[in-house]
Amino acid sequence: MGIVSSLLGISIASVYYTSLPIVKANEVLFLNRAICTVFDLPVASDNAAGYEKAVEENIVRDTLRHDGESIITLTQKSAPYTVGIVFSGVGFWDRIEGIITVTKDLSTISGIYFTEQHETPGLGARIEEEWFRSQFKGRKILWENPIGKRIIIGAGDKTQVNRVDAITGATQTSMAVMKSLNRSLASFKNAHDSKNGL
Amino acid sequence: MALTPKQVAINALWKENPIFFQVLGICSTLAVTNQLINTLYMCFGLVFTTTLSNWVFSLIRNFVPPRVRIITQVMIIAVFVMIVEILIKVLDPEIHRIIGPYVGLIITNCIVMGRLEAFAGQNKPGISLLDGCMQGIGYSFILIIIACVREPLGFGTILGFPLPARELWWHQWIIMVQAPGAFFMLAIVTWIARGMIARQNKPTTTTSAAKS
Repeated sequence: MGIVSSLLGISIASVYYTSLPIVKANEVLFLNRAICTVFDLPVASDNAAGYEKAVEENIVRDTLRHDGESIITLTQKSAPYTVGIVFSGVGFWDRIEGIITVTKDLSTISGIYFTEQHETPGLGARIEEEWFRSQFKGRKILWENPIGKRIIIGAGDKTQVNRVDAITGATQTSMAVMKSLNRSLASFKNAHDSKNGL
Repeated sequence: MALTPKQVAINALWKENPIFFQVLGICSTLAVTNQLINTLYMCFGLVFTTTLSNWVFSLIRNFVPPRVRIITQVMIIAVFVMIVEILIKVLDPEIHRIIGPYVGLIITNCIVMGRLEAFAGQNKPGISLLDGCMQGIGYSFILIIIACVREPLGFGTILGFPLPARELWWHQWIIMVQAPGAFFMLAIVTWIARGMIARQNKPTTTTSAAKS
């Protein structure tokens, strides 16, 4: 039993440590690609080095803290100084995480990208699709509204400036995304105002 | 009487197929068959795990005391599943994001442990390796059939490629994207396959009855 355990342990450890650099590199590439997409950054070459260089040259990372909560922000170093806020929450099945970008004055959304989601393929998982994400571009964040209604997904009047369509057949996921976004944006606003003495 | 390699292959692929005859591995059948690419990766994981864990357990079967055989089997299976998970993470991180949790669940897949207990524990390594591989293929071909129906009906694609002129004729069957769609498909496949097996066996039964 001891010999079998040792041999199996050694095999799995060898495979794990041999593949670790590739796995880490894949994770970094995925995140950098997400940042480049959501900020619409120019990328010189479509490979890991190209995406890494684009992020390093254009984005500065920061962590805002307020009332025990930490909010990660990504800000563009040059004009238009777009601000990215890392949001997270609980989806229909599991955790949802992503980046939402807003204009420098925090009034208008310029993009959204989901970096983690485990929703139903073909239904809730469609939040990753371009048609759903592109709806957010140009929508307003109504900071004066109650926390849960600053961005609206699905419900309400279609002419509202802060509203996007929900996904048919995935109402629960759409609601979960709306809740996560509004909650994370509220935490960001509190931390941002507190940092700037507002 | 020991089984010949041909009998092992026929049993695994058809007569005692893990899905429609033994009704094992149903959780993953429901979970990953909504898209063919997910199914193919899952099948690769299961074939890899059943083949190698059957072989390894058969190699050490005479040295493992009966009281600790189950824990030994779980340990062997877990190692191969972890290797598969790492391989998928390295080869295709996008697919790993989708089917990662189900790959981990191969550890508790009834087919793998069932074959170790029922076959590899009593047979030589060579034939056990073949049995593991064929059982994995038997599982895979049923999953691929189900996925080939669910993906076109649920997504309008096959292997991610859109169906020809789908905007003219295709309407999404939402149920095919969800687990109930897999239940229906599995039931239909099982019904057809068992019906065919019953028809194949019928003349033999009649002949033996006539002789007696």
